[in-house]
Amino acid sequence: MRNGDWYTSKSVGSIHADATTRAMIAISGLLASTQQDSMYYTLRSVSGRPLRLNCRYRIEGGEYEANWWSITAYGPDYFLIPNQEKRYSYNNENIARDDNGQWVIHISTHKETGNWLPVGASVTDVDHQNSNYDFDLLLRLYTPGDTYLQNPESAPLPTVTREECS
Amino acid sequence: MKTLRWVIAIFLFGWLGQYLMAVMIPYLVMERLYIKAAERTGYNQLVVISRIDETSRWVVRPSPDLMYASCMYNLEEGPLAISAPVPERYWSMQFYQMNTDNFASITNQRKQQSRVGTRVEVTLVGPDASPSDYAGEVIQSPSVRGVMLMRASGIGNDSQMLSALNNSRCSPLNQVASS
Repeated sequence: MRNGDWYTSKSVGSIHADATTRAMIAISGLLASTQQDSMYYTLRSVSGRPLRLNCRYRIEGGEYEANWWSITAYGPDYFLIPNQEKRYSYNNENIARDDNGQWVIHISTHKETGNWLPVGASVTDVDHQNSNYDFDLLLRLYTPGDTYLQNPESAPLPTVTREECS
Repeated sequence: MKTLRWVIAIFLFGWLGQYLMAVMIPYLVMERLYIKAAERTGYNQLVVISRIDETSRWVVRPSPDLMYASCMYNLEEGPLAISAPVPERYWSMQFYQMNTDNFASITNQRKQQSRVGTRVEVTLVGPDASPSDYAGEVIQSPSVRGVMLMRASGIGNDSQMLSALNNSRCSPLNQVASS
C-alpha cells in the first residue's frame, strides 16, 4: 500500500497475512508487530529514484498521531549502517524542532548541521546488482491513531526530497 | 493444442513453485533464527538486549530506539511461566509462532493501560494443552516452538525500562512451582 513515496502493509505480522506478505516480512522485517501495536512505513526511492549514497536528502515533518515515532536508516542488508556518531535514527524526543514543532532531518554521508542522519556502506557486502537502492528509511509509529489504522494510504507522513547528487 | 497444454502446465508449475517457496520461507527463516539463538543463549530463558547498534544482527531491522528481551521457547516439556513488571512508557510482550505470525500480544497501550505498575504473569502452553487446566492469564501457542519478544521504549531516560526487562523472567512452569 502506497502513501506518497512510503509503503506499508496492513497485514504485517498478522495471522491474516497472505503467503507473499509473510515471506517478505520474514526476509526484511522478521518479528514485526501487528499494526495495532506499530505501523511501519518504508521508503526506498524518492519520486521513483532509488535512495543513493551520493545524494543528499531532506526529511521534513511535524507531529504524528501515535504514542511515539522514530525514523531509522538501514542498509540494503536490513541492518543498521555503521557510523562514527552511532546515530542510526531520530525519534519524537531527541529530534531538534523549530518553534512551531516542525523538524528537518538531513541525510548524507558527510556531516551536516542540525538533525543529521549519517548513511554509508553497510557491514555486509551486498551485491548492488541485486539491490536497486543503497539504503532505505523505516518510519515506525507506535500505537498509531485511527488516522493511520483507517487510512494508511492518505494519513500524514514526513516528506522526503532529494537535494543535490555528486 | 499440445503447445497450449504445455504453456498452461509450465505456467501452473511456475505459479505453484513460487507459492510453495513463499510458504516455506517464513518457516526456514524462523528455524534459522531459532537454532542460532538457541545455540548462543539456550531456550526457555530470557535474554535482555539493551543496546542496539550496527553489531546487532540477530534479527533484521533492529530498532535503536527500543530495548528488547527475548525468550526462544520450546513447550515440548511443558508450559512456561513468563513474568514481567509493566513500566509506564511503551512496552509490549509479543508471541510469534514458527510461521512468523504474531499470534498474541500484551501491552501497556490502549485498553491495557491499566497494566502499568502491575506485574504480568502469563502461563504459555503448547497447542495440545488445555488452557482451562491453568490458573491466571494463559496464552496458547499454535506451535510447540516460537519466540516471545518484549519491546520497551529506549528513548529518553530508559533506566525504568531497563530495570523492567532485567526483572522479567521466562522459565519452565515446573521450575517456578517447585522453587
